[in-house]
Amino acid sequence: MTMKPAEPTGAVLVIGGGIGGIQASLDLANSGFRVYLLERLGAIGGAMAALDKTFPTNDCSMCILSPKLVECGRHLNIELLTNSELLALEGVPGAFIATVEQKPRYVDIEKCTGCGECAGVCPVRLPDAFNRGFSTRKAIYRLYEQAHPPAYQIDMNACRRCGLCARTCAAWAVDLSMEPVTHRLEVGAVVACPGFETFDAARIANYGYGLFPNVITGIEFERILSASGPTRGNLRRPSDGRMPRRIAWIQCVGSRDIHRVNNGYCSSVCCTSAIKEAVVAREHGCPDLEATVFHIDIRTHGKGFERYFDRARNEHGVRFARSEIHRVFQDASGDLILRYPEGGAVREEVFDLVVLSTGMVQSAANRELAARLGIELDEHGFCVTDTLSPVDTSVPGVFAAGAFTGPRDIPETVMGASAAASRAAELLSRARHSSTRSRKYPPEKPFGGSRPRIGVFVCRCGINIAGVVDVEAVRDHAAGLPNVVYAVDTLFACSQDSQRMIREAVSEHGLNRVVVAACTPRTHEPLFQETLREAGLNKHLFEMANIRDQCSWVHQAEPGNATAKAMDLVRMSAARARLMKPLAQTSVGVERSALVIGGGVAGMVSASALADQGFGVHLVESSGRLGGNALRLRSTLDGSDVASFVKGLSERVSNDPSIDLHLGAQVTDVAGFVGSFRSTVEEADGRRVEIVHGAAVIATGAEPHTPSGFLYGLDPGVLTLPQLEERISAGDPVAASCRNVVLIQCAGSREPGRPWCSRVCCSESLKLALEMLDRNPGIRIYILYRDIRTYGLREKYYLEARERGVRFLRYDPDDPPVIERGDREGGAGLRVTATDTVLGERFTIDADLVGLAVAVVPSGSSRRLAGLFKVPLDEDGFFMEAHAKLRPVDFPTDGVFVCGLAHGPKTIDESIVQAGAAAARASLVLCRDSIEAGGTVCVIDSAKCSGCGICALVCPFRAVEIDAEEHRAIVNEALCKGCGLCVASCRSGAADLGGFTDAEIHAMIGSFTSGNAGR
Amino acid sequence: MEASAIVRTVRERAAELLASGRVDLVIGFEQGSMPMRAAPCFVSDADGTDRLVWNSFCGVNLARFLRGRHGRIAVVAKACDTRALVELIKENQLCRTDMVVIGVPCAGMVDSAAVEEITGHAGITGVEEADGRLLLTAGGSPVSLPREDVLCRSCRRCSTRNPVICDIAVGERAPEPEIPGFLDVDQFAALPSEERRTRIEAEMKRCIRCNACRNVCPMCYCVRCFADDAFPQWVGRGGDPGSVMSFHLVRALHLAGRCVECGACERACPTGVDLGILNRRMSADVYRHFGYRPGMAPEIPSPLSTFSPGDPEDFMLEPDRGRSCGCGG
Amino acid sequence: MTTGENPSTAGWEPGIVAFLCNWCSYAGADSAGVGRHQYPSSVRIIRVPCAGRISPFFIISAFLEGADGVLVSGCHPGDCHYTSGNLIARRRFILLKSLLEHAGVEEGRLWFTWVSASEGGRFAAVVDTVTKRVRALGPASCLRRRFI
Repeated sequence: MTMKPAEPTGAVLVIGGGIGGIQASLDLANSGFRVYLLERLGAIGGAMAALDKTFPTNDCSMCILSPKLVECGRHLNIELLTNSELLALEGVPGAFIATVEQKPRYVDIEKCTGCGECAGVCPVRLPDAFNRGFSTRKAIYRLYEQAHPPAYQIDMNACRRCGLCARTCAAWAVDLSMEPVTHRLEVGAVVACPGFETFDAARIANYGYGLFPNVITGIEFERILSASGPTRGNLRRPSDGRMPRRIAWIQCVGSRDIHRVNNGYCSSVCCTSAIKEAVVAREHGCPDLEATVFHIDIRTHGKGFERYFDRARNEHGVRFARSEIHRVFQDASGDLILRYPEGGAVREEVFDLVVLSTGMVQSAANRELAARLGIELDEHGFCVTDTLSPVDTSVPGVFAAGAFTGPRDIPETVMGASAAASRAAELLSRARHSSTRSRKYPPEKPFGGSRPRIGVFVCRCGINIAGVVDVEAVRDHAAGLPNVVYAVDTLFACSQDSQRMIREAVSEHGLNRVVVAACTPRTHEPLFQETLREAGLNKHLFEMANIRDQCSWVHQAEPGNATAKAMDLVRMSAARARLMKPLAQTSVGVERSALVIGGGVAGMVSASALADQGFGVHLVESSGRLGGNALRLRSTLDGSDVASFVKGLSERVSNDPSIDLHLGAQVTDVAGFVGSFRSTVEEADGRRVEIVHGAAVIATGAEPHTPSGFLYGLDPGVLTLPQLEERISAGDPVAASCRNVVLIQCAGSREPGRPWCSRVCCSESLKLALEMLDRNPGIRIYILYRDIRTYGLREKYYLEARERGVRFLRYDPDDPPVIERGDREGGAGLRVTATDTVLGERFTIDADLVGLAVAVVPSGSSRRLAGLFKVPLDEDGFFMEAHAKLRPVDFPTDGVFVCGLAHGPKTIDESIVQAGAAAARASLVLCRDSIEAGGTVCVIDSAKCSGCGICALVCPFRAVEIDAEEHRAIVNEALCKGCGLCVASCRSGAADLGGFTDAEIHAMIGSFTSGNAGR
Repeated sequence: MEASAIVRTVRERAAELLASGRVDLVIGFEQGSMPMRAAPCFVSDADGTDRLVWNSFCGVNLARFLRGRHGRIAVVAKACDTRALVELIKENQLCRTDMVVIGVPCAGMVDSAAVEEITGHAGITGVEEADGRLLLTAGGSPVSLPREDVLCRSCRRCSTRNPVICDIAVGERAPEPEIPGFLDVDQFAALPSEERRTRIEAEMKRCIRCNACRNVCPMCYCVRCFADDAFPQWVGRGGDPGSVMSFHLVRALHLAGRCVECGACERACPTGVDLGILNRRMSADVYRHFGYRPGMAPEIPSPLSTFSPGDPEDFMLEPDRGRSCGCGG
Repeated sequence: MTTGENPSTAGWEPGIVAFLCNWCSYAGADSAGVGRHQYPSSVRIIRVPCAGRISPFFIISAFLEGADGVLVSGCHPGDCHYTSGNLIARRRFILLKSLLEHAGVEEGRLWFTWVSASEGGRFAAVVDTVTKRVRALGPASCLRRRFI
C-alpha cells in the first residue's frame, strides 16, 4: 500500500512534452490535479510529431496527436513550461520543490498569433533539425507546422539581432530583451517521460551514414514520407532527388549489438516501424518499388503486429532477408551496394536508398536529468524500475514512463504515462481538487424568442489578413447582411482588448449572436466562446469564418478573389448564426465506485489503485481464488518473485475495506451507462445482487491454448510451458535430473488459426532454460524457434542463455519439428526431429522432456462479457481498445476500460502497467460529482421518429437506442460525442445535431452565392 | 397447382387461422371492381374468407398494410411481399412473432396497362387464366395472350419467386430464376451523360408530384416525409425540374439497400414514370459493392448501417500531385 | 461540354462548396494555410464534425443552390475521430456519386477524398484538381432549381 503524506500538494510536475508527458498531464489535470508540463524544446509533441504514420493501422500520426496538443495547450490546469529544464528537486513525496529554469523564447506566447511574418523577413537560414536537416528554417521559427504553443521562438545561437522580426511583428510579440526565468514549483509528485534519442548511426562506420547521402535513418525517412515534411510526402532520395525504386532497410543499427557498440538490448519498435515504412513507401512511391528488410529476427510481438507483418510480406510484397549486412559501399551514381552473407557465400546487391533502423538510446540530457532527480539508471541509461512496480523509480514520489524506462512503442508509452498518473494520484489523493483552478462565468442572459442581433468582428490579423483581403469591404458587406446590427474590424481579434471590445459590444448593442471572421475555429473557437460566456451569452451562439487560413494565406496573389471569398464566408457564417440557438449543458450524476471484473494480477492492481485513489471497488472473480494466471508463475525472467507478489496483493485486496470482493461470482447483466452503471452479479451461492458503479474495468485474462499434435496429452514427457514451470517449481525429479530438454516455440501461435504472436513465450522459455541450468548445470537445452522475440531489455537474457550453452535452432513453419516416442527403455524418451534453417541441416534430439510454448488465447468468457458491456472484440477474440495507439485501455463506450491479458498477450509487468492505466482512466470518471452532457449532441424529434433504428445501428458510441415501449429513438447525451452520423442516416428528419443543425447547414449552403444573401 | 387450387387452399388456411383464434385478421386480395384488378382485403372472421382470391393481378405489396395494426395478423404474401416484410422486421416496424405468413409462389404479375395497350383499349370484360395464357374478353371478342408478354417490368427482372419467410406454404415452389444481372442498368450507364440526363429528365417531366409512388411503397413509412418538411426545406414542393428531380433522387437514396423491387411504385404511377430508372441503379450498386440484396435474410445488417474496411475507394479523388507540393513534380 | 473554352463562359470561375470534417480535412485546410500552399479561390468551406454528418441533402442542395461542383473530404480510413464515421459515410458517398452521375450530373462535379491534418499540400492539390475539372465542365445546370 502507498504510504500517504498527510497534507500533500495537489500538483504534479510532468517532465517531457512527448506523447507520454501529454497523456500523463491530461490524465492528471482531468482528475483534479494541477500540472506543470516541462518541455526542453519550444513546443510539445515529441517524437510522435515527427512520424508520418503509426503502425499497425497506418493512422496519420499528426491527425491523432494534434487534438491532444490543443487540449494540453489550452487546459486551465496544465501550465506549459517550454524551453525549460529541471535544475533541482528537493523535499519529500507529497511535498517537493522543483526548481525549473525557463530559457527565453524572445517571443511573447500570449501575443504571438503564429502568423509567421517574422520568419518571412528573417535573413538567417539554417538546417531544420525537426526535418533532420533535409530542409531549412529561419532563426525565428516554429518547431513544426502544427506545433503547440503555436508561438514562434528565436534561436539566439543563430540570430544576428538585426531586429527585422521585431519591427515586422504587428502584434508586438518579439522581445529580444527576454531573460531566463527560474520557477520554484511546489509539487506533490513527479512523472518523468523525457523520452529517447535515436542512435547516432555515424558510430557504425561500415554503413557509411554521414558519408553516403542515400544512407539515411528511419526517422529521416519518416520525415521524407510525411506530408508536412521536407519533400511534402514525395518519396525522393537525398543525393539527386530521384524517386528510389530499390530500398533496403537495415535492422538493429545500434541495438542488439555488443560488438560495435555496447547496446545489448533490443529497441523493440524498429521491426514493425520498418515494416510500416516499407508499406507506406510502396504506397507513396512508384508501383514497382522493391522493399527489402535485412534483419536478425523479425520482432512483431505487439497486438496486431504479426498480421501487419504477414500483410507486408504477402500483400505488399515486402521482402524480408535474414542476413546481417557487413558493409555498405557507394558507387559513382550514388547507388549503394550491400554486401551480405547468403548460403555460405557473400552476396552483393544494389539499392537506391538504404534506411538504417536506428535504435533507441538515452541522451546525456536525460542522464543529467536523472542525476538531478536522484533516480537510478541502468548501464544503458534507462531508468531503473522494479518489474512488479514498473512505473516507480528508485525515488519515492517520482514516477517514470515511456522510452525513458526502456524501449517502448506509443501505446506502451501512453499506458505507462496513465499508470504513472495513477501512481501520482494514489499518493496525492487527499489533495485532489486542492490546487486546481476553475473559471467562473456570469449567469446566461435569457434568450427566449430573441430576434437575431448579430455582431460581426472582422480580424485584420496584423497584415496577415488585411495584407491581402480588403477587410473594410468585408466589414461593410457584413454590416449590410440581414440581422447584422454591428460590424467592426479589429487589428487582432484574439487580443485582450479585442475580447473586451466584444464583451462591451454584446451589452451595448444587445448582441445575441457573434461572428468572428479571423482564423481557424480549431484553435480559436474556445477562446471566443469563453469571451461570450463572460458576456453572459451561451457559448454556442458563436460562429467563426476562417478568412485567414482559407483566404489571405492561400490566395496571396489574388486580393480581389480573396476578398470576394471572405465576403462569401462571412455571409455564410451570418446565415448560420441567425439560426443558432443556445444549447443547454445538463449534468449526469456519478457513482464514485468501480466494478473490476477479474481477480488476476491486472484486476487486483487496478482495484487496489482505484481504492488507493479513494474510490470504492467491487472486484468480481469467477473462480474461488484470487491470482489468475499468475498463480502458475513463480518468478519472472529477471528473477522477481511473482509468488510473493501475488500473495501480498491478494491479501491487500482482501483486507482493503473499500474493496468489496465477490469470489466465485459472475456478472450476468449490465444496464445504465458511464457514471451510473447498474450491473447484476450472481454470487457463489446463487444470490443476485445489483451493483451501482460509475465505471468498469474488464480484466478477465486469457488462457493457455491446449495444443494438438506434438504428442501432447499422449506422452507424459510433453508439457506446456506453464506445466513445465510447475514441475520445476515442485522440484520434480525428472525435471531435475534429465539430460536433454527441447523447448518448441510458436506451438500454436503465428499459424493460420491463431495468427498472432503470443509475445511472452520466448521470454518464458528463456526463464525456464536458465532456471533448469541453475538447478542442473549438466543439462542440455535446445530451443526450437522461428524468431526469438526477447524484445527490449529482455535481450540480455537471450545473450546469457547463448553464453551458457542453450542451443537455438531455427525451424521453418512449413517444416515444423516432429516428436516421436523414442526407443529408449522405460518409454519416457522422446525423439525430436527438425531442420535447422540456419545451418540447413536435419537433426534429431533424444529428449527427456519437451516443453511447448503454447499460444495465449482469449478467455472463454470474453464474448459474453463483450455483449453485456456492448464493447467490441478484435478478430482474434481479444477485447478491442478504442484506438490502438492513443486509447489503449479505453473502449468507444465511455466508462468501460480493459487491461491485462483480456486485451492481448503480455508479460506480468506489462499487465501491471496497463492495470494502472485503466485505473487512471476510470478515475477521470469517478473523481467528479457529475458528467457534463449536452451541447453538440444529437436530439431526436419524437414526433417524426418512426423507430427504424438506423441511428442506433450506426452510432459508434452506443449513445442511441430504441425505446422498447415508445418505439422511438432516445439519445443518451452523456454518451453522445456529437459526430452526427446518426443524423445523416435518419431518413425521417427526426434526428438533428445541436450546433450543426440541418437548418444551419442549409442556410450556409443557401447563401454561398452572393445572390442568395437574404435567404 | 392450379390457380383455383391455390385460392381454395388460401381460403381454407385463412378460415382455420381465424376460426382457431390464432390470428385476428387476414390480409389478402379480393376481386377488384373491374376485371384485371385485385384489391387488398381485410378479413376478420372465418366466414369472410370466401372473398379471398389469387390471380395474376395481385401486384400490390401487402407488406405495407401490417404496420400500425394491433393483434396477430396473417398475410397472403408473394416473394416480394415477404422481402418487404423482412426489411420491415429489421427496421423494427413489424414483429415476426405477431404475423403468420401464408406464402404463395409467384410467376410474376401481369401489367394490366400493357394488356389494355395490346388489346387497343377495347375494354376488357372478362379474364381467365390457363396454361400460362390470359384468356380475355376484349371488346366482346375472345383474345388469348401469353402471360410472359404482359408481365410487369419489375416481374420480368424478378430474382426471387418464392417467399423468403413463410409459416404456411401454399402451392408448389416456383423455379427460381438465375439471379439476373443488371443489364438494364449497365446499358443505361453506357449512354453518354448528356443522353442519360435527357432520358431521365423526360421521365421526371411526367411526374405530377401526386406521391402515389410513395404512398404504395412498403418501405415508405416515415411519419413525415422529407418532401413535406418545411424547415429546412431541402426539396421544393413544386413541380419545377429541380424539385422533382431532387425528390426522386433522395427517394432513391432512401430506398437504397431497402428497395425489394416489387414494382408497386411503377404500377401506381398515374403518368407511367419509369421509377426503376433510378432505383435500379441503387439496387445494382448495393449488390455489386456491398453484396447485399434487400429482404433476403433478417439477420444480415442493412448495408448502410455498417461498413467493410475493403469497401470500394476507386470512386475517390487522388489529386494530381506536383503543383502545390513545391517539389517540382 | 468538354472544355472550358466556351466563349459564353470566358472568365467564368466555378463556385464549389466543400464539406470538410473538423478533425482531419478542415485541419488539413488549415495546414494548407499555415504552409501558404496557394490554390484557386473557388471553394467555400462548410465545416462539419465528421464526414458521417454529411447528408445527401447537403450535396444535392448545394447543386440546387447553384454550386458548380461539390467537394467532400474526411479523415483517411483509420483516422476518424469518431472511429468509423468516415467508413459508414464512404458507403453513402459511393451510392450518392453513382446516382447523381447516373442521373446526368457530369462526372467531375462531385468529388470525395480523404485529407489528413498534416496534408496541407494535398488539400491544395485537391482543390486545384477539382477546380480544373469543374472549370472544364462549365457552369452546372443539371440540378438548378430554375432550370430551363
